[in-house]
Amino acid sequence: MNAIELTHVCKTFPGFAIQDLSLAVPSGTICGLVGENGAGKTTAIRLMLGALRPDSGRCTLLGVDTDSPQILAAKEDVGVVLDEAYFPETLNAVQVGKILSKTYRRWDKDRYDGYLDRFSLPRDKQFKDFSRGMKMKLAIATALAHDPKLLVLDEATAGLDPIVRDEVLELFNEFTREEDHSILISSHILSDLEKLCDYIAFLHQGQLLFCDEKDRLLEEYAVFTGTAEQADSLRSEAVVGRVSSGLGGARCLVRRSEVPPTLELERPTVEDIILFLVKGAKDSCRH
Amino acid sequence: MQALILKDFYVMWKQTRIFLLVILVFSAIPGSFNAVFAVIYSAMLPYTAMAYDERSKWNQLAAMMPYSDRDIVLSKYAFGWLFILAATVASLVLQAALSLVWPAAGSASPAALLLALCVSVCVLDLTLPLMFRFGTERGRLLMFFIIFLVCGSAGAVAGIAPDLNGNAYFALTLSAAALAAVVLTVLSVPFSIRLYRRKRR
Repeated sequence: MNAIELTHVCKTFPGFAIQDLSLAVPSGTICGLVGENGAGKTTAIRLMLGALRPDSGRCTLLGVDTDSPQILAAKEDVGVVLDEAYFPETLNAVQVGKILSKTYRRWDKDRYDGYLDRFSLPRDKQFKDFSRGMKMKLAIATALAHDPKLLVLDEATAGLDPIVRDEVLELFNEFTREEDHSILISSHILSDLEKLCDYIAFLHQGQLLFCDEKDRLLEEYAVFTGTAEQADSLRSEAVVGRVSSGLGGARCLVRRSEVPPTLELERPTVEDIILFLVKGAKDSCRH
Repeated sequence: MQALILKDFYVMWKQTRIFLLVILVFSAIPGSFNAVFAVIYSAMLPYTAMAYDERSKWNQLAAMMPYSDRDIVLSKYAFGWLFILAATVASLVLQAALSLVWPAAGSASPAALLLALCVSVCVLDLTLPLMFRFGTERGRLLMFFIIFLVCGSAGAVAGIAPDLNGNAYFALTLSAAALAAVVLTVLSVPFSIRLYRRKRR
């Protein structure tokens, strides 16, 4: 079963549109959703969770159509962390816990308290007095305390210092040790996604450019660094993106299968692949 | 829905304390207008709760949680009803106490307060759909309309209050107001749900 499935989804707003988006996150996997600001990541997440109704196409969450009445029961199994915590600012952690204990049937107070202790979060401090890191930690605690099967994280690690981010990523890793647990995470911090994800989906201007296994992407592509002349000698089908590095040098993202095996290549990072592909997409728009 | 009402209650706790103080002060002042105003004023509390929701973007998160559109809308009505009821009971008790302590003061009649309860529900039914349609930010102009409704209603109820006690028209007036409150509620809630859904999607 797919934890999340979008099939030919379209949603139009003034000045922006999600176009024919088809995306599946298999159960038990971690999928990273990548894209520039305004690429449609948050809109896609809102569609996945039934917070927005698509103009056309179909969205399912844990096997349930987001338009069906059963979606509320399916949401019991979903934990959500958005880019900000979105809790009213006058609440404190205890009050948030009490509210959510009446929201989720499987709310586990002990587990919630455990996360509050683990994150050293004050119980009686008003939410407005929390730092950004504390706010995000509280949001993560609330997303995990009802034992969800799916975590949806929209820029949940943005603005966290590296130590906290590492702690949070470790928590997500712990979460996916259960076989049927899945995560969809959107982030600008591609190194986090590289550490965490099995799949990478790349949205660009409302369209899905690719959704592929991370390891396959890293095997398929490579980075070539050499002189401009050497880069020119590569077959055009082999070069996905190219940047001049000054003083007659060039750096290219190439398809391994299309270049001679003798050519010295570097293993790319997910960030390399995304940056070259975005540049490639922009160049093709210009021409 | 219980969770959403609890959330509004926590959010409004500070305002609630001020509100209770307002009721105490207004109800302690002899005369119908003040006590009636306190009851009708309580119908405005859901708008403050909605403004807090908008400021924190709570609705975006709530749409992703297991709350139905019906729960989200109905919770605001229920929150308003609870406060209207609480204000009516508080005013009744305080005015009764006042009349015992100071019989010559001319405290508000229970009839006027019951009528105020019905009028408050009508104010809520008329204005909440506008808030769901336009939001509290754009609804500021509407707020003047609401204040006008609140003050006008309080004045009108207080004006006719002396004629109501023991009057033959009392039952008819109160019944008409109660019927209006029920009919408006039956129409207003589904209409608000429809507006909320349309706005959200």
